[in-house]
Amino acid sequence: MTHILSILIFFPALAGVLGFVVDKRSAKAYGIAVASVEFVLSLWLWVGFDNVNAGMQFTEFSPIISQFGISYNLGVDGISLFIVIMATLITLLGIISLRDDTPNMKNMIISLLFLEMTMVGVFVALDAIIFYLFWELSLVPMLYIIGAWGGPTRVYAAVKFFLYTFAGSLIMLVGLLAMAYLYHLDNGVWTFNILDWYQLHLTTDQQFWLFLAFFAGFAIKVPMFPFHTWLPHAHGQAPTIGSVILAAVLLKMGTYGFVRFSLPILPDASVYFTPFMMVLSIIMVVFTAMVAFAQKDMKQVIAYSSVSHMGVIMLGVFAMNAEGLGGSVFLMLSHGIVSGALFMLVGVIYERTGTKIMSEFGGLAAVMPVYATVFGVMLMASVGLPLTIGFVGEFLVLLGFYKVSVIGTIIAGSTIIIGSVYMLALFKKSFFGPVTHKKNLSLKDLDGRELTALLPLVAIVVWLGIYPKPVLDPIDNSVKALLVQMEEHAELQTTKDAIIISKKEAE
Amino acid sequence: MEKFVYIALFAPFVGALFAGLFFARSPKTHLVGIVNSSLIAVAFVSAVTLALHVAEHGAVHVQMMTWIAVGDLNIPFGFLVDEVSVTMMLVVTLVSTIVHIYSTGYMNHDKGYNRFFSYLSAFVFSMMILVMSDNFAGLFIGWEGVGVCSWLLIGFWYHKEDKTFEENPSISPSWAANEAFIMNRIADLGMLVGIFLIYWNVGSLQYDVVFKALPHLADGLLVAIAMALFIGAMGKSAQFPLHTWLTDAMEGPTPVSALIHAATMVTAGVFLVIRANPLFSLDAVHGVSMFIASLGAFVAFYAASMALSARDIKRIVALSTLSQLGYMFAAAGLGAYWIALFHLAAHAFFKALLFLGAGNVMHAMDDELDIFKMGGMKKVMRGSYIYMGIASFALAGLPIMAGFYSKDAIIETAFNDGSFIIWGILVITAGMTAFYSFRQVFFTFHGEERYKALGFHPHDMYKYVLVAMAPLAVLAISFGWFMDNFHEFITKNLPDYEMSHETHHLAPYLGTIVIVLALIGICIAYIKYAGKGDKAWKRNEKKENSFIYKLVANQYYVPKFYDEFIVQPYTVASDKFWEMDKAIVDGTVDFIAKVIYVSGDVSRGMQNGNLSSYLNWMGVGALLLVLGAGISAFIG
Amino acid sequence: MEIGISHYLILSGILFSIGFVGVLRRKNLLMLFFATEIMLNAVNVAFAAIGNYYGDLSGQMFAFFIIAVAASEVAVGLGLLILLHKRYGSLDLEVISSMKG
Repeated sequence: MTHILSILIFFPALAGVLGFVVDKRSAKAYGIAVASVEFVLSLWLWVGFDNVNAGMQFTEFSPIISQFGISYNLGVDGISLFIVIMATLITLLGIISLRDDTPNMKNMIISLLFLEMTMVGVFVALDAIIFYLFWELSLVPMLYIIGAWGGPTRVYAAVKFFLYTFAGSLIMLVGLLAMAYLYHLDNGVWTFNILDWYQLHLTTDQQFWLFLAFFAGFAIKVPMFPFHTWLPHAHGQAPTIGSVILAAVLLKMGTYGFVRFSLPILPDASVYFTPFMMVLSIIMVVFTAMVAFAQKDMKQVIAYSSVSHMGVIMLGVFAMNAEGLGGSVFLMLSHGIVSGALFMLVGVIYERTGTKIMSEFGGLAAVMPVYATVFGVMLMASVGLPLTIGFVGEFLVLLGFYKVSVIGTIIAGSTIIIGSVYMLALFKKSFFGPVTHKKNLSLKDLDGRELTALLPLVAIVVWLGIYPKPVLDPIDNSVKALLVQMEEHAELQTTKDAIIISKKEAE
Repeated sequence: MEKFVYIALFAPFVGALFAGLFFARSPKTHLVGIVNSSLIAVAFVSAVTLALHVAEHGAVHVQMMTWIAVGDLNIPFGFLVDEVSVTMMLVVTLVSTIVHIYSTGYMNHDKGYNRFFSYLSAFVFSMMILVMSDNFAGLFIGWEGVGVCSWLLIGFWYHKEDKTFEENPSISPSWAANEAFIMNRIADLGMLVGIFLIYWNVGSLQYDVVFKALPHLADGLLVAIAMALFIGAMGKSAQFPLHTWLTDAMEGPTPVSALIHAATMVTAGVFLVIRANPLFSLDAVHGVSMFIASLGAFVAFYAASMALSARDIKRIVALSTLSQLGYMFAAAGLGAYWIALFHLAAHAFFKALLFLGAGNVMHAMDDELDIFKMGGMKKVMRGSYIYMGIASFALAGLPIMAGFYSKDAIIETAFNDGSFIIWGILVITAGMTAFYSFRQVFFTFHGEERYKALGFHPHDMYKYVLVAMAPLAVLAISFGWFMDNFHEFITKNLPDYEMSHETHHLAPYLGTIVIVLALIGICIAYIKYAGKGDKAWKRNEKKENSFIYKLVANQYYVPKFYDEFIVQPYTVASDKFWEMDKAIVDGTVDFIAKVIYVSGDVSRGMQNGNLSSYLNWMGVGALLLVLGAGISAFIG
Repeated sequence: MEIGISHYLILSGILFSIGFVGVLRRKNLLMLFFATEIMLNAVNVAFAAIGNYYGDLSGQMFAFFIIAVAASEVAVGLGLLILLHKRYGSLDLEVISSMKG
């Protein structure tokens, strides 16, 4: 149990290396086997997780370059635990959903396994350099997946994805180095340990600039308005599996970064920037939801809706109370599940018809009832219907953010209206009405492979919608600890006032 | 008693799962219909048991488990069965049982028979959550749940294509379903805001905690909470200006209209106001309550006026539902919560009966909805004729019938409150109600048998279906007789509403006015629409071209207004935003990339392979470095 | 007038400028060689002079180093020049440019 995090990180990587010698025809089976083991390992992590402990668990520490305080330092808390589990689950289901006749299956499996390593690595790293390493490494397999299996303009999309996010993360790297330098100035030793950084007292001026540096890296990844335009291109060109992982896990790296770095290290700047983040997030929520409504391509609707929902997550991150922040962490999870499933579903119809344009469909509900049902469930989760996973997070985020800004909440709350506008429009255009194209009459409903990939997601959507407690409890603990840490290390009284850990305490 | 609470709640859910999971793909089987109907009947029996228990021992409160617990927020799945919720449970389960049985006949020939029962039972489950929940979040679960089931059921015949607005005002079932869902969501946002307000100021969402804390809150806050909650109620109960979805919802199968869009779901808004009566009866929110009452009276009249000229048999009933919802809100707004609840129950019975009767007619007429194509059908459809007649009498508020007691009480309340404008509107509306409901009855069942000339061969519904409708007919007649018992039962929980002595004295006269107006309405309807021969075929062209007729027939152009001023601008704005996103936001990014590319292209010229020019560049670079060093030395 | 450090440095500067202009302006590879040699020797002068001025021998040591490096450089460079001349028949930079970007 002591090295489970290292195993979680390097098992897929090692398996990926071994994958080079696996027979081409059994590559997918190999991938499923490895991803299953990895998923079971991550579940084991959950089993061994102490729900009462709000701090880091399963920590591993061994110095790498001790002069500069760079060390191999891992750990999970309630915030990262479930994102890790979701990442391994989505990878497993993504591999299952791969078509057997995918070209270069072996390369695909190997890239996915490497990607899995980087994803797990980002979420369990407690050393800024290790974090940065995995953060950047995650670009490489994704670049390859989009560039090799993508659509007609895949190179443009892949390069844009790579350069855009890379540019942002370089600025973030500068921020990380500056953090280490400031720590050195204060304490005389070098360290890149994030938990040590939490103890650092920075002036508001320093916090201001560091926040901006981190913002550049995280905001592009989220992607926040107006840095979101790489996403529709990437989704438009990426193969289904690429979109699934991109939307479900890679985007969460951005929001996770805000929660892990910006909030606890820079509490004053975080509070200072809240109005700014609110405006950006609300624009994200409303603007991109409207853009989603204008799309003709089903996948683009989901892509833009993804941006819109990430806006809600960002609102929660900056709610500065346990309800909002906890809701936003939960929403990261639920958005991963739901958007992953939606991209898989779009992939299903794309594989059958070779098109994603909604006007090419119509009346699919009659031809593919099971498909329509699963799509319907995910749609309802996406628009935040109570008793589905989507509601819990969205409700909590809006509830939490209400304390920050009433008007902001009402405008952002319109997501439940305009979100249903574009999703229902999509559903009506594609699934309702008469079957307008003869060729669609002979479409096959979901087959065993697709159901195996999708039904677990449906089950999770319902399960966590009705009984989110097992997930919410650890999140709640860690989020409260994070808020306490923020409040203790805030320099300004206004910051302390803005952070509400418990309402009862505040009164 | 706990187990009865769970049985009442989960029996419909079991039915939904039974039909949905095991029979969704199998061909139509009556097993589904029978099992689901029995399960709902079981729920009804449990509700009756609970009602008896509540009457004797008071409320039952159970907490099943925690749902969401984060920060200070703690929302359990808790269920409260008290006088108010048990009344709703009785109404919901009773009407649901009958509608389920009715549907086994009505949907007999439909491909989606099993699917229909799955949705219908799921609806009942959601509705039970809505009425039984002991907190606002639980209410919201049911609130949204009925919304989704309503979406599924309105769009049940999803395969129908879109028509133009002129051809079919509700365009298509799927369009109507989306409209209903989205419009409800607009109101739900209001409700959510109300919930947020309550949470941040009270710290809990449990009814008992909240209601206890209300008197300590600031006045402005109370008004805000009341407004927000009422906005939620406006959506579900289709109050102006969020009313257009209700008439369009008639695209759904008729049993759905009877259950959801007449008896149960649309009354959820009224239920919310009744449930939150400790809030709405506070002096601080008197303004909001008056607004509720005025809006109710306005909607009552407004909907009735549209029903005067409607030709679609289901739309007429839907508009009358809208109108009656207005009555309920008027009563609730004036503080007569128990009268509102009483009218809610009575209305559920006779309106469901009316809808199911209309369904029989439609079924007989091969889904023809235009009452101008019917007429004289009483001979072929005696059972339905009697039922619709009873229901219309009840709706018109003629003596002995259920509607007489409940509606009269509302009108009396308005008088008693001194709100004579509301009173006047309600009285006039009562006359209009009688007119349009009998216009429909006469058009359909009396006079010239136009259907024959048009080639229809109507026949009445299955016998067992007609028998199953009997309880509704009995209640539509007799429910009012139990007004005193109901009053005694319900006022244990709801505040009593005392008529002043004077009103009590005047009551018989007031009642007479209403009855006389209703009778006049019926007479006019008879003279105008029960005729035979040529007269029955003629239509008054001049009248139909008049401004007022057109205004009313087009629903005051409200749907058109929404289309032109909300839907279309939204679509255009979305397209424009997309353009902007591509041209400006993405354009900027691409522009930066392009600048870098171009600068690379330009500076590539330096790399010309000529050593001499390289050396020149090197020299320039060296000079610049020296210069830079010099300047920095000079400054630093 | 005593010849001081500044005179040497001025001489070195003048020599260096001559070499520099030669590097920039000359098109013949052989002439470029000469120009670089002049620049190197200008630096040698400066090194020797400053070394003497501070009474430190490392200046002169560096000068010797440079002379040695320059000599080996000339040996290799001239060989290359002969090869280039054999291939192109000219040592004009305009003629032998082949690395166009």
